[in-house]
Amino acid sequence: MDLFEEVKGSRTQFREEYSEIELEKKAIENLRIKYLGKNGIINTYFNKFDQIPPEKKKEFGQLMNSFKQEVQNSVADLKEKLKSDQSSSKFFDPTLPGKNPREGSIHPLSQTMEHILTIFREIGFSVELGPEVETDYYNFQALNFPENHPARDAQDTFFIDDDTLLRTHTSPIQVRTMENQKPPIRILAPGRTFRNEAIDASHYCTFHQIEGLYINDKVTFSELKTTLFLFVKKFFGEEEELRFRPSYFPFTEPSAEVDISCFKCGGSGCDLCKGSGWLEILGCGMVDPNVLSASDIDPEEYSGYAFGIGIERLTMLKYGIGDIRLLYNSDKRFLKQFKNI
Amino acid sequence: MIINNKWLQKYIDYSYSDEKLCDKLTYLGLEADLKENPLKDIDNIVIGEIREVREHPDADKLRIAIVFDGEHERKIVSGAPNLYPDAKVPLALPGCELPGGTVSKVELRGVKSEGMIPAEDELGISDDHSGIIILPDEAEPGNNYSKYYQEKYGVNFDIDLTPNRPDCTSHIGVARDLSVLTEEKFHTPEIDFKENGPDISTINSINIHTPDNCPRYATRVIKDIKIKESPEWLQRHLKSVGLRPINNIVDAANFVLMETGQPLHTFDLDRIAGNEINVRLSDQGEEVVTLDGESRKLNDRTLLICDAEKPIAIAGIMGLQNSEVTEETTNLLLESAYFDPATIRKGAKDLDLNTDASYRFERGIDPQNVIYGLDRVTDIITEIAGGTVCKGRIDNYPNKIIQPKITVRFNKINSLLGEKFDKDWITKKFKLLGCDIIAREDNKIKVQSPSWRPDLKREVDYIEEIVRIKGMEKIKSASSITISTDYHQNKRHNFTQKVRKKLSGYGYNEVYNNSLTHADHIKYNINKVEAIKIDNPLSQKLAYLRTNLISGLTQTAKYNINHGNTNLQLFEIGNVHQFAPKKENKSIQKEHLSLLLTGNLEDIYWKYSEPRESSIYDLKGLVEQLIEFYTSKSPTFNLIEEDIDSFENLLEISLEETVLGHLGKIATDIQENELNVEQPLYFFEGNMKNLFENTTDKIDYQPISDYPAVERDISIIVNYHTHVGEVIEIIQNNGGSFLKDIQFYDKYSDEQMEENNKKSLTFNLIFQSRERTLKDSEVDQKMDNIFNQLQSKINAELR
Repeated sequence: MDLFEEVKGSRTQFREEYSEIELEKKAIENLRIKYLGKNGIINTYFNKFDQIPPEKKKEFGQLMNSFKQEVQNSVADLKEKLKSDQSSSKFFDPTLPGKNPREGSIHPLSQTMEHILTIFREIGFSVELGPEVETDYYNFQALNFPENHPARDAQDTFFIDDDTLLRTHTSPIQVRTMENQKPPIRILAPGRTFRNEAIDASHYCTFHQIEGLYINDKVTFSELKTTLFLFVKKFFGEEEELRFRPSYFPFTEPSAEVDISCFKCGGSGCDLCKGSGWLEILGCGMVDPNVLSASDIDPEEYSGYAFGIGIERLTMLKYGIGDIRLLYNSDKRFLKQFKNI
Repeated sequence: MIINNKWLQKYIDYSYSDEKLCDKLTYLGLEADLKENPLKDIDNIVIGEIREVREHPDADKLRIAIVFDGEHERKIVSGAPNLYPDAKVPLALPGCELPGGTVSKVELRGVKSEGMIPAEDELGISDDHSGIIILPDEAEPGNNYSKYYQEKYGVNFDIDLTPNRPDCTSHIGVARDLSVLTEEKFHTPEIDFKENGPDISTINSINIHTPDNCPRYATRVIKDIKIKESPEWLQRHLKSVGLRPINNIVDAANFVLMETGQPLHTFDLDRIAGNEINVRLSDQGEEVVTLDGESRKLNDRTLLICDAEKPIAIAGIMGLQNSEVTEETTNLLLESAYFDPATIRKGAKDLDLNTDASYRFERGIDPQNVIYGLDRVTDIITEIAGGTVCKGRIDNYPNKIIQPKITVRFNKINSLLGEKFDKDWITKKFKLLGCDIIAREDNKIKVQSPSWRPDLKREVDYIEEIVRIKGMEKIKSASSITISTDYHQNKRHNFTQKVRKKLSGYGYNEVYNNSLTHADHIKYNINKVEAIKIDNPLSQKLAYLRTNLISGLTQTAKYNINHGNTNLQLFEIGNVHQFAPKKENKSIQKEHLSLLLTGNLEDIYWKYSEPRESSIYDLKGLVEQLIEFYTSKSPTFNLIEEDIDSFENLLEISLEETVLGHLGKIATDIQENELNVEQPLYFFEGNMKNLFENTTDKIDYQPISDYPAVERDISIIVNYHTHVGEVIEIIQNNGGSFLKDIQFYDKYSDEQMEENNKKSLTFNLIFQSRERTLKDSEVDQKMDNIFNQLQSKINAELR
């Protein structure tokens, strides 16, 4: 058969195969190999070039080139088609949003409280809990608040009756623990407390406290200082400076308030620290001998320290929350930001 | 407590800056806040001199002052009543920015005013608007007024005084404490007046009927004084600490109060009946009118100062109008006393009346200062009001207050503070504190406390003084601390924390609600309990301690829904209380967990057309899983049949005999009409203690079977009101020991079934043995058995 006719036949066959091909990667590749491969149909014809009479060589060359061109274009078209075809069935858009499982959050006050407890647990503090409704004895008398003493003014109290009240601090847990345990005593008393104060941006009638107490022989003020340095370092980070100021709490003597250098302004004075360069973070002191004696612990034999940390204050400082009411408004837009613990 | 730096400098010679002083006071435990000069940022204000005052041509109430500003004369239009020629005044020039606005040239009724002569309120110094500020004659026209003000009034320190330090309720007291730290020279004013009048004993006598309430009472009499305005220096001192001058007598008493801390009272001698003072407790129902014009009914424990006929003052708190010094007063009776702190505190509380005097008495003033204060005020009055001082004073001191003698052991200081102190340094500082050194030995020192320090009663109080004076910074931090290894885990507390983490992992947001709430919240209680009522609540809305958590969570849901957050999964863990009159603290406290679910379970997502709406079964499933997770036991859910107004579909959840809590739906009526929200709210409330007590950390491990499981479905048609739980129970009881699992997976009814009051239920059953492969025939037999039972017990038909 005439080689020209053969090529034309192959070309017709190619056109048929092309029109019927399944739009699939493998099929297209097979078609390409069949015609354009090293041992493919087109190369086979080229190899027969020397069988062509010289006067027809040019014509045959043109025919073959046009055939090859057509196959190449067709295969390229197929590949293009395949690509666009995948956009409907196999197309993958990696930028589509994934489906997040719904995530909750732990209240920032719970987080702060747990953070503090964890720090002190490491040096051996146990957690003790106590009632929110207390007697005057545990909240005041046993803590060396005399009756009719102005020291009680600093603790605006909600009363149930003359003898019963909402605890103004978690210190009553100290007393309850000392009644039931012998030294050494090393406890943390977290919990909710109450003050009869009008509600505004920095006051709320309910708040939370962690009270720490350590009683043993030879407990010193010096050790208290180191313990609180350690706490501040772990809670706030390495940068903060610490300052102890003398203060007064009926149940400790000596008593101190502890400030850290303002982390917003670094101590130069700003609105957060009200220009002083210091932020008050806790109160502390050596347990007053009257408090020890009230629980039958001999102050000649034992000494101890106590500290009280306001959870709201530390939380507000840590996250830069400007209004205490946000902690109790339960606004989901606020709450959902406190995710990791 | 306001302390003024200029005033303080009268008693102690110090030369450091205000900031330094502020630091030193704070380091002493007198937490001080430096108050800015209120005029600090005000420019364009000078001292002016009024040269002439003219009538305004067009206004009766306005006048025109011609004021010399140091260079030029300016026309100032003013409505002030106290304009007069030669007066020196502050002059705010156009452009001067005052708290109320910027001064500009304005035309007032046709006359151009080239500035403004301010009253005190317009400068933000006080709220006085009675007239323009008149300056002393020596003020130099043209000088900057802001600077002049600062030099004249100095700066103030607001000291947040702790209640144990009554000695620092005065300028002398603060100066004395500062001198202990700095060892600078401290001095008190000398007293120098002549007693030219008749002997006081011919004029006055004192009877103290209750010496326990009034240990000391002293008086002096001054005759023929002249009431007038106080001199400039006295007015300036009072103004500098925010007191308003009244007249020379009242001002002198206030000055000595702020100077020495001794409260004084001045009576008009001629209004006192019978030349006598009686100190006694009030009678129940007795009525008096105090200086502030208020009529007050007394109980039977208020201490009164009386003359021969009537009460003339409430001791230590406030005088009465009937004996008050007036413009007509010429003869004075001066009172200086030491009243029992608790008596005054009770009185002030009962009357709800706190004054500068009661503030000091209830903290405990210096009993030895009573006489100094009395003589000091006498001295000042004779200087500024003239008069003749009667000879002597009456000093009735029936209950002598003896200062305690304290032994301080040097080794005790060391063992409590962890730091050694020089014994001579301690001795020196104790002397500066005002102690009498009784004995000093090698290992201890014995001192008598100063009369102005009622807080120094014990050895430990002196140890505190050492820390305070040395500076807390100077106590070295211990290089190591002890660690306790015998601490115990509070499992209960840890459990609460675990539940928090778990619920937040389930997608729930933790909230904290107020424990204080309103009476109505009790309707969300399933069991009737009485709430604890606050005797002195902030408001009726916050008058009860909560007895449940769900009432708070419904409010939280309402708040969030109103703010556009309609898909909510909330939880709270907190204490609730019920009134228990027989308990020591009148309360039974329980830790509760409450959950609230409402809205869609998922947010809108592109792959699903509709987000799934939550239902009571989502909450039921969660609670069931939570309980099973911690207790490895399956709870039972029982429908509560009785009507409870606040809830629908209320289920009681129990583990064996213990009720763990309840779940249900907030009643539609409450949801729609009280909470005003459109979506149903599902809730759980349970007792954390009961849950905790059922927790187990044991895991009942079962080996996995090596033999294949056989799976069968069963679809039955039953009466529409048949409970699925009932069907499961029948299957369970009749499936034999190889029936491992039952899954309910379809509930269906078509029109025809509905007409016949029927529904179709489909279950998937898994049979498996641990020992062998089950034969089809034996499973078929079990399936037949199950169906036969379903047929006979609940009329089930196969579908």
